[in-house]
Amino acid sequence: MSSHTPARTTPDGLDGSPLTLEQIERLIQDRFSGVACNLQHGELTVFASSSNLLDVLAFCRDDDQLACDYLADLSGVHWPAGDRVIERQTSTTGWPEFRVSRQRGVIEVLYVLRSTYRNHWLRVSVGVDDQEPALPSATGLWETANFHEREVYDFFGVTFVGHPNLVRILMPDGWVGHPHRKDYPLGGVEIPYKHDKFIPSPEHRELREVVE
Amino acid sequence: MGLESKIPSGILLTNLEKFVNYSRSASLWPATFGLACCAIEMMATGAPRHDMARFGMEVFRASPRQADLMIVAGRVSQKMAPVLRRIYDQMSDPKWVLSMGVCATSGGMFNNYALVQGVDHIVPVDMYVPGCPPRPEMLLDGILELHEKIKHETFADHEAVRA
Amino acid sequence: MSITDPPRVAGSDDWNEDLFVSGADWESLEDAVGDETITVNMGPQHPSTHGVLRLILELDGETVRSIDPVIGYLHTGIEKSAEYRTWTQGVTFFTRMDYLSPLFNELAYCLGVERLLGIEAPERAQAIRVILTELNRIASHLVWLATGGMELGAVSVMTYGFREREEILDLFESQTGLRMNHAYIRPGGLAQDVTDDFLDRINQLLDYLPKKMDEYEDLLLYNPIWLTRLQGVGVVDADACRDYGLTGPLARAAGIPWDLRKAQPYCNIEQYDFDVPTETEADSYARFLVRLEEMRQSLRIVRQAVDALPGGPVMVEDDRVAWPAQLALGPDGQGNAPEYIRHIMGESMEALINHFKLVTQGFVVPPGQVYSAVESPRGELGYAITSNGTNKPYRVHVRDPSFVHLQAIDHMAAGHLVADVIAVVASVDPVMGGVDR
Repeated sequence: MSSHTPARTTPDGLDGSPLTLEQIERLIQDRFSGVACNLQHGELTVFASSSNLLDVLAFCRDDDQLACDYLADLSGVHWPAGDRVIERQTSTTGWPEFRVSRQRGVIEVLYVLRSTYRNHWLRVSVGVDDQEPALPSATGLWETANFHEREVYDFFGVTFVGHPNLVRILMPDGWVGHPHRKDYPLGGVEIPYKHDKFIPSPEHRELREVVE
Repeated sequence: MGLESKIPSGILLTNLEKFVNYSRSASLWPATFGLACCAIEMMATGAPRHDMARFGMEVFRASPRQADLMIVAGRVSQKMAPVLRRIYDQMSDPKWVLSMGVCATSGGMFNNYALVQGVDHIVPVDMYVPGCPPRPEMLLDGILELHEKIKHETFADHEAVRA
Repeated sequence: MSITDPPRVAGSDDWNEDLFVSGADWESLEDAVGDETITVNMGPQHPSTHGVLRLILELDGETVRSIDPVIGYLHTGIEKSAEYRTWTQGVTFFTRMDYLSPLFNELAYCLGVERLLGIEAPERAQAIRVILTELNRIASHLVWLATGGMELGAVSVMTYGFREREEILDLFESQTGLRMNHAYIRPGGLAQDVTDDFLDRINQLLDYLPKKMDEYEDLLLYNPIWLTRLQGVGVVDADACRDYGLTGPLARAAGIPWDLRKAQPYCNIEQYDFDVPTETEADSYARFLVRLEEMRQSLRIVRQAVDALPGGPVMVEDDRVAWPAQLALGPDGQGNAPEYIRHIMGESMEALINHFKLVTQGFVVPPGQVYSAVESPRGELGYAITSNGTNKPYRVHVRDPSFVHLQAIDHMAAGHLVADVIAVVASVDPVMGGVDR
């Protein structure tokens, strides 16, 4: 159903010559001018937008030097809008409070592309607005994106345009809400203990967020 | 159902009850309802080292209509709950439920939106075996306690009013 | 007609062809039957579907036209639950995902967290991690063999597989404290060091297991029933593997020699000498051969790792992350490290505060994103971890191999008979805890 990964005669991954992350970065930036990249912890992240996402993915797959034949992972991260106060246990440490403020809520969808021919990998990151998130579907490039995109739809609400069957996959059909979003509660119940004590559900417990 | 409906009530039938209870407990066939990690420990309990067959649980009947005991082994998600209830309804009386592991007993460590916090919200449970997962010896202990419980039942316990 | 009449015979004068059908007449009847397909539900509770997997089969007679796997019957919200716990507490959650290979879940998670922290576990911890995970690979393959055999009808293989697995679980219990879901591999190293009789136990295992693997080969390798049921069933060639993202034994049975232990080594595994078995047939029998050989290669790795086991601590010496894991039995029966206790109680107030913070809040991980992958018995197990600089994970997504492999079941089993669907699912070896998380 998807356009197949081009056949190659280069030897398979174990003897293939990997490109360095800088070389991959340069290849992508030469082809897509102005695309931002980030190198951290020995990993390369390419920041695409929803308009050039499929082009970037197809380039990574079809280019002879990148040769990314596997889509290893497709996942989402929700960065909600608004203020967040992260306490630093000021009373014991004396450190000031830490405030995070975001204007626009973003759902970041990450694609991990792996090359078994060259034995290197990279990550492509796309951010979509979290109110009406929509992205083109990668099922035309890799069949494996099918379940992954359904999962991102189920848990974050991202609509993948062109997906053959975009329905919920892990939650029951008819479930309302997208659980992995930050504005969706964890749920859970209070646990009654002896002597009329109650342990609240994990999201209401006193485990403060702490930052160094 | 079955024997109870044929016998007139109100008459002391101790010896008959003892005999029937012994027969029921000595040959209690479990229905396969392994869900998660506890299912692996349940399979290990049926394996050669901790053999469950020596206590009468000879075969795991795949069809719930042929089984007496439903061992709910593992976490019951919201999607699985109606299936669980349907399997329980398909079992014919007398039937017992053993909730194996903390996830089936009370939701376990997963106190969240996805799990039913205890399978006793859905089906009546006769024996709770805690553990994450319980050792095969613990499950055998639970099963033997259930056998003891069965041996002390009366005919009134399995009348049709049991929901 | 009465019982004393002579029996009717096909071809006789009063043989009514419209009423009686002999076996060879099926083609002529087909038009009368029509070409509708039947939809059959192999429901979530089924003895042969490897856990709570629901397969909706579209059957044309007994041939499967298409399969629609429905999953989510074991969804536990583990990824979201971990966002409300500390980084170390996350280990106890992730270990319960793929419950047949829990140490792999812990290892992939801890490798990712360590990369974010910028630390590396000490060498002894790395070596013990390799030993325990390779033994876990053997245990997982034994369960695959046991359940796969049982589903295909070889019921005694179930007893043999679990018997061997008990020996490995004994070892795990003596070292980590639990038979399953250990929470032993922690960010920074291990929870505690191995016991003194660790080497003796391992050597006992290494003597015992190869003989049993020979037994499996004798039983199954050239067994005509096994061959008939597995050969040619569930073929997925190398191109389809790349398209569907299949890794692990499925890809290696199709001829792709890709193993993350060789390509992207972790825990110093490159110092050990081992082969990566590959086949070319890409059917269920090839996957069976690959997994059998992987068990032997894992034993080889364990043997080398045990011979070369270095000394030293098993937890990183960084007090932002962990306290020492050298436990000694104290007078109150609890384990503690006496010098460390003396230091924090007597000598340094900052150390006491630090220890208190580590225990109650956990360590803090700098902001960033990583993707760490290991070669689990089922394929590539990857963790995409995002940190926003606090003591709790911001988002952890698990790329479970079984989740990805279930997409290919339709490709593999379409055109086969219903019984072959069981063989295909068994050879893919999905673990629904990992699929549904």
